[in-house]
Order: sequence, then C-alpha cells, then structure tokens
Amino acid sequence: MVIPVYWGCVVPTMQYGYELSVREIMPRLGVELVELENASCCGLPVQSINMNAAVYLAARNIAIAEKMGFTELFTVCNGCHLSLFEASHFLSQDEKLREEINLLLKEEDLQYAGRIKIWHTIDFLHDVVGEASIKKTVTHPLNNLKVAVHYGCHILRPSSVGTVDDPENPRKLDELVEWLGAKSIQYPEKLDCCGSMLMMSHADAAFTFTGLKLKAVQDLGAEALIDTCPSCQNMFDMRQKSAAATTGAKLNLPIIYYTQLLGLAMGIPEEKLGLNLNRSPIDEFLQKVSVSS
Amino acid sequence: MIYSMSATDLMTSKKPDAVTRKRVLSKLGEQKPYRCYQCLRCTSGCPSMKMLELKPHEIVALVRAGFIDELLNSGIAWACATCQKCKERCPQAVAPVDLIMALRNLAVEKEAKVPESFLQSLSMILECGRISRPQATLNRKLEKIEREKLGLPKLKEPDEKFKSAFMKALEKTS
Repeated sequence: MVIPVYWGCVVPTMQYGYELSVREIMPRLGVELVELENASCCGLPVQSINMNAAVYLAARNIAIAEKMGFTELFTVCNGCHLSLFEASHFLSQDEKLREEINLLLKEEDLQYAGRIKIWHTIDFLHDVVGEASIKKTVTHPLNNLKVAVHYGCHILRPSSVGTVDDPENPRKLDELVEWLGAKSIQYPEKLDCCGSMLMMSHADAAFTFTGLKLKAVQDLGAEALIDTCPSCQNMFDMRQKSAAATTGAKLNLPIIYYTQLLGLAMGIPEEKLGLNLNRSPIDEFLQKVSVSS
Repeated sequence: MIYSMSATDLMTSKKPDAVTRKRVLSKLGEQKPYRCYQCLRCTSGCPSMKMLELKPHEIVALVRAGFIDELLNSGIAWACATCQKCKERCPQAVAPVDLIMALRNLAVEKEAKVPESFLQSLSMILECGRISRPQATLNRKLEKIEREKLGLPKLKEPDEKFKSAFMKALEKTS
C-alpha cells in the first residue's frame, strides 16, 4: 500500500533513529511511504499560545495530504497525533472556525475537507499491517526478552477526540512487542507521563517525571523500555542522565523505539536502524538480541 | 521557577471579575466549567499535582468564581503536563486541561507570564516552518552526526507562501 507520512518537527530535526527505522521497516511490510509536500509543524506547541493558530497549522498539513489525493495519513509522533485529531475535532464541531481556517488556507491554495483517516505507528502497525504480516518478517525472534512498553499520553487521550487504543487499558503496543517474541511486562506506572511538555517551563519537574518512571521500570527487571514518540524518547533516552541526576537514581535502562525493535527482529543491521544514536546504554541489550537469533 | 506565589497567595478578597471570566470562557466555546461539581477525579490523577501542586479542580473553581488575574499571575497554568488524564476522566466533560490552555492563550494576549521557550518555538515556526532546523546529534560514543551523514533525504522547509499565510493566520485568530 501507498501512504503519505507526516514526520512532524522533532523526528526529522532531532530524533533520526525513529525516521531511519521507520524508513527501513515499512518497505519490508509492503508499505510505500510518500513525503508530504511543503509540510510544516503540526501546531502542538502553538496551542499554548493561540489555539486557533495551532488548528490552522494542523489543518494545513491534513489539507496538503488531501490535495495530494490521499484518504489516509500516517504520523509517527504522539504529539502530532493529538494536534491533528484535536484540530479535526474542532473543525467538525465549529462551522464558523472551519470557514475561517479555510479562508486562510486559500492563501496557499489549500482546503481542509476533513475526510482523511489518520494513523499513528501503533494502530497502523497493529490494525492495518497486522499480526500475520509482521510475524512473517520476523527472522530474529526476541526470545522472551522482558520489556516494558510506554504508550505516552497523546495517542491514548482524550478518547473523545482520538485514541489508538483503550485509554485506560491499552494492549496494542504490548501485542506488537509480543509478536516479535518478547515479553511485555505489566506495571503500575504504565500510563505515567514522561513529562516532556514540562521541559518548556519546569525542566526539573520534567526530569523527575522521567526519572521516577524509569526507576520503577528498571526495578521491575525490565530489560528495555519501548516507545513510539520522539518527545518521550528524548526524555527517556537522550536525557536519561539528567533524569538520574535530578531524582538521585542510578539509571541504566535501554530505551528503544518500537520500530527499531521490529527492525532488529527483522534482522536489519543496527546502523541502518539508527541504533548508534540511542544515548541510553543499549549495547548489552543488543548483544542479547543477536545471541537469541 | 516560573512562579513564586500561588493563586491563593495572590487573592485579595476583591470582587469577582466577570468580564475576564467571560473572555476565558468564550475561548472554550461553551459554559463547561459550570458543570463541575468538584468530584476531584482530575486532581487525584494529575501528575503535576505531585510535582508542582497543580490542582485542576481548583483552577475550574477559581475561574467559575471569577478570579482570573490571580491565576494568570501565579503562572500555575504552565505547570500542566498536558497529559489529558483530567479530560479523559472528568465525568462532566469539563476538561480542566482545556481551561488551562485557554488561560495560557489569555496570558499571551495580556502579555502576562509566558515561558520564553513557547515564544521561541513560535518564531522558529515562522522562520523555517518547524520548531527547529535539523540539528547535529551525538551518537553513543559522543561523536557528532549530521542528518545528511545518515543517508536521510534533505529536509525541505515550506515555501515563502507558508510564512505569509501563517503570519496572517496568527493575526486573524488573535
């Protein structure tokens, strides 16, 4: 199948491992990704400044996909998921806002119709690509490695606006991980927030959110934390040392994108998946994966 | 720290400000905060409650009571992690987080307390279409790596028309 991909801001400018791994795994799953022309920020950070301007940014990217003739759109970032779904929600409820936004979109010869189906990494892989197709590509099963999955916030809630799974008892990422042969542990902090949105105003609090979750997961014996959001990965992986320093915990947890984990199970070389870019101590975990193959 | 005094510290027994309250509520499009009966489900699950003493139910009560300036001056709206748990769990669909975002928008309009980084993100979007241009990253060996070196396609910025269109959107919607 052919589907346009919306990368957002953080992935193409900072979290290259996510982009690399998505580009590697999709062709092997029979998915051809098409770039959106002229894409811009989804608007999430602008929500705090001017909600309608944020809706404009989100609507703009959806309109671009619609102009290109697509009926579906795939986004990799949790934050973008929230922004795109909230904009769609507002525009379906508020006729006046919709007219205002479309008037502004005319400047770029765009129009928002709101007929596009928006997917995120988790529901796209789980519901569209599916178990059989994914299992077929697994040549290096992860043989019962114990991992903890982190869904993040913006793809699960608010469910009235858009969710990829059950907001209080999600299972799809757990299943996606188990389809690779690994074990997904259940833990009380499963729905805890990484704190990344607080980096803009309260960095210490943000690092505390991150550190407390990582400590809990580590103490339960998880061998890695698996996520699907560049902002969460930025906190857990890139800023793990800061989180450790702020909470006074000794943190040593491998943090890996689900798409990188899937790539490993497919036998794709580490460099191609951008695993050299993960800042958390993943080398031991990578050795376990290659041993199990 | 963005704030030094809590909303409670800033209360002065003055009369409720119905005008500013209306201004906040008009951003929500509805009279949702009046549906709240203070069940505290929101605050019970709020991660910022533990770290930053954010109490979503209290913010709803203060807005209803008409003490908006005190809320803005305390900067408490910026303590929200936007995790959306309050919105998910509120039995009355008040959605404290929506009210918090409306307060943030009002703080910007009134040029009250606004963290610098939000405004920086906005200027970057105006400048290049995203919150940042591609940054060099470090690998695990702490060696600098650029996006091009990784074999990723060059990242295109949206064209000039975007900048003027977005500028217009900002003006028209404020």
